[in-house]
Amino acid sequence: MNSLFEIPAGIMERGLFTMDTALKAAQSALQVITGQERLQPLQAPPLAGPADIDTAVADFANRLARIVRFTHWDGAAPGVAFREVTSAARRSFGQFDLRDPHNSAFPVQLALSFGTLFVQQGLRLLAAAQVVRPSEYPRFLTDFFESFTDAPVFLSLEYRELLEKYEARLAERPDDDATRCELGRTQIKCGLHEQAAKNLLQAAGNASVRGLALHETAVAFYRAGKLEQAAQAGSQALDVSPGNERVRHWLWLTAQKMGGYPEFVPQEHRMEVKAGYERPTVEFEDIAAKIGVDKTSAGRGLAVFDYNNDGLLDIVIAAAHAGCNLYRNNGDGTFTDVSVGSGLDTCVNGFIIAVGDYNNDGYPDLFINRLGFFPGEAQLFRNNGNGTFTDVTREAGLKVWGPAFSSTWADYDCDGRLDLFIANNLGGMFDRKTPNRLFHNNGDGTFTETTEQAGLSTRWPTIGATWGDYNNDGFPDLFLSNALGHSQLYRNNGDGTFTDVSAEAGITEYCIGSTSVWCDYNNDGLLDILQFTWSNHEDVIYTLRHGEGPPGSKPQRIYHNNGDGTFTLRDRDIGLTGCWGTMSGNVGDFNNDGNLDIVLGNGSPRMDRLEPPILLQNDGKRFHNVTFAAGLPFTGKGHGANMADLFGNGRLSVLLSSGGAYPGDVMTTRVFYPKRLPGNYLNVRLAGVKSNRSAIGARICLEAGGKKQYREVSGGSSFGCLPFEQHFGLADAQKVDAIQIRWPSGLIQHFTDLQVNDTLSFTEGERTWQRPYKR
Amino acid sequence: MSLQPPVNSRQDIGRPVADFQLTTIAGDQVNLQTVLSRKKGAVVVFWSGICSHCVRYDGYFNGFPRQYPELGIVAVASREKETPEQLRAIAADRRLTFPILHDPGSRAANLWFTQQTPRVFLIDNNRVLCYRGAIDNFKYPQDPEYVAYLDPAIRQFLDGKPISRTETASFGCAIQSVYYNLPKAL
Repeated sequence: MNSLFEIPAGIMERGLFTMDTALKAAQSALQVITGQERLQPLQAPPLAGPADIDTAVADFANRLARIVRFTHWDGAAPGVAFREVTSAARRSFGQFDLRDPHNSAFPVQLALSFGTLFVQQGLRLLAAAQVVRPSEYPRFLTDFFESFTDAPVFLSLEYRELLEKYEARLAERPDDDATRCELGRTQIKCGLHEQAAKNLLQAAGNASVRGLALHETAVAFYRAGKLEQAAQAGSQALDVSPGNERVRHWLWLTAQKMGGYPEFVPQEHRMEVKAGYERPTVEFEDIAAKIGVDKTSAGRGLAVFDYNNDGLLDIVIAAAHAGCNLYRNNGDGTFTDVSVGSGLDTCVNGFIIAVGDYNNDGYPDLFINRLGFFPGEAQLFRNNGNGTFTDVTREAGLKVWGPAFSSTWADYDCDGRLDLFIANNLGGMFDRKTPNRLFHNNGDGTFTETTEQAGLSTRWPTIGATWGDYNNDGFPDLFLSNALGHSQLYRNNGDGTFTDVSAEAGITEYCIGSTSVWCDYNNDGLLDILQFTWSNHEDVIYTLRHGEGPPGSKPQRIYHNNGDGTFTLRDRDIGLTGCWGTMSGNVGDFNNDGNLDIVLGNGSPRMDRLEPPILLQNDGKRFHNVTFAAGLPFTGKGHGANMADLFGNGRLSVLLSSGGAYPGDVMTTRVFYPKRLPGNYLNVRLAGVKSNRSAIGARICLEAGGKKQYREVSGGSSFGCLPFEQHFGLADAQKVDAIQIRWPSGLIQHFTDLQVNDTLSFTEGERTWQRPYKR
Repeated sequence: MSLQPPVNSRQDIGRPVADFQLTTIAGDQVNLQTVLSRKKGAVVVFWSGICSHCVRYDGYFNGFPRQYPELGIVAVASREKETPEQLRAIAADRRLTFPILHDPGSRAANLWFTQQTPRVFLIDNNRVLCYRGAIDNFKYPQDPEYVAYLDPAIRQFLDGKPISRTETASFGCAIQSVYYNLPKAL
């Protein structure tokens, strides 16, 4: 049946893209006729409102959606709604002076703009229909609608106005329990859980909203720490809605926190979890509090890097509504928060952190962008080498305003200087696609945009962007993991241009892609693509209960590199069977067996959705979900999922920045540390000389115990860079037979007979290595 | 507002913090010396009437003088666009009894490296910084995962013991944000 649906979907997609192209051509022609300037990407926030018709139409549509969501449709509502729509139109179109001759074709342009809006929404709905199971489609759209209508309200912290609106309504109509329920749900989002529980319990007296109100009451009580009451409300909610798996899952979470289901919870309300109990070869303990990094951060980006060049790996974590936190590794098993006065503490609302030494001064710099589901600024922080960072965004020519979801460093033309790619997602439900952007490093501290010359076009909202040399020609290629739609692979032609080879490479599947990483999961010397996918809550609960996702769902996947320019999609056949709301993930050999394992950071903005981070252990043939058996928690939410050998002892910690998008979704960062050294290891650090200093793009082949392993140094692919240090698990090998380093400059160096259980730093062109740790 | 030069540019724990003088929402001029008068120390909290996290601590701060009579308490309202009139209305509505200073232009917040509310500082009567960060881990006291940060620091301070955790990271609502300046969403 799938193939039958795929044919019309492909035809529909081509049709919609053709319509889009035609409408945009008409728009361009009108722009030329009326003498309007060609639109340039925004560099600064549009404080006065939209300045072009397409943005204004999208803004108006977004505002209409919020009016639909937040207005009460009875009694005097038509008058209220009319006033709100008029006000929205004024805010969206207030910048247009219809007396200006340049706006003479405004009505036609308006019609064309609405046309492109409908086409664009059609494409998104079509893509969603390909990846969401039909039974889940309405809930997917409802969740999507709620998240996107909430986003600007909560980002601007206008929740007070929203609460007042609901309270005013209830003052007029105290019996409006639907509104009381919404008030309670909004209070949960604000972190006012006790007040929320009171309102929700009151609303639960009304049969028409009883199921939802009790479900949300359970959420409020759980978050307020009143677990017994949470369990009671959850159980009552299941009496009302026995098929509501979200309630059942929340009740299970409550029971886990209580040490088991309370007796009053009947058997039919309980659930068993099958996923996460495969046998781990290493177990973990949470050391975040012990080492002093248990920060509340709202689950934003987390990067591990050595900011002060003392050889110890430090941590930076971005935060919602707060500045970034920089933790200095003291070398004694603890970290000190050195954010205050560092300059990074001023970077409020950071989202993704990309580490790279763009000026080759030996101190890694940071590019931090914001949000990804709403437009924001990005900042380039130059590392001054003295514990402070300076915002040099403007002088570097990197002022951008957009819904950037990924920023990654790569030296795409191998000139020894790091370039920057920014992937933009969707800034609002009806927003136009913000183009992805490539910036070339001029070598003098400035960057020049080269997106068009490079031939990079943008079709779908993009979440993940990651660089890797899949064809071993020495030039990094670019994979785009698109939020809704097809993924894209761009081959680097080596002359500053790229070719979209997605179709010929066999990368044609629709999915809800989140971030992705290049990695050689099977140690064959060819980089594969690990693409993380985001699944609906119901598919996650199904996975928890059954150990694998439901038929037709879209688990994590690997595009296996066949070595001939094509890729084969592999998921269930190699143990990638589970569906999670994966927002980011990373790879690392946490059990030191010589195979790259995976960590997933999962969740969704919804306050009634918490889900565990997932550990997938690679035995060389299949991945095994060992999460709970390895000691990771049953609950969580977050983007920054990383692995690093924080103490230089071969034990790879799993770092998870935790928390959610709403102010009330607060958790602390967790660091899971192996209880024992699970095998021998070697850590390798590289410093470029002719190549970029961070050695991003360098390839290492290590041979030990009769086995070859491959790593490529990445300039970020997810919510925070892995350390540039490459960790090799060596199992029981007693020595490293050989290391080959292919530098981005083209230089290839060989080293033989190295000790195991060591950390070595190699500098490009030098015949010996250094040890960053004192022995 | 009058500002003294910062005592040290990095606001290190164990060294004096910069003083500032601001006007309370009742119209009185207050500086840290006023707050510390006849006290062993004080808690300064950067605070906002709009912040949904701060509201959770209304009872805590109202009861603070009774719980810790040896310590002064003052809230500094630095959030951009929050006016004294709004603050007075909120204080009356929520029956807030602790002193609230208005910090126009968020200058005190900038001087104290503060980006979000609530963020608390415990200082001794020589303005030496003893603790900086969050009140707790934003869980509720009934929650098995609840961890208090400020109270243990205060108890150790009052007992003359070394403070075991002198710094925690803050979380909360941004004091300044571009999103407050975009066209209203609602």
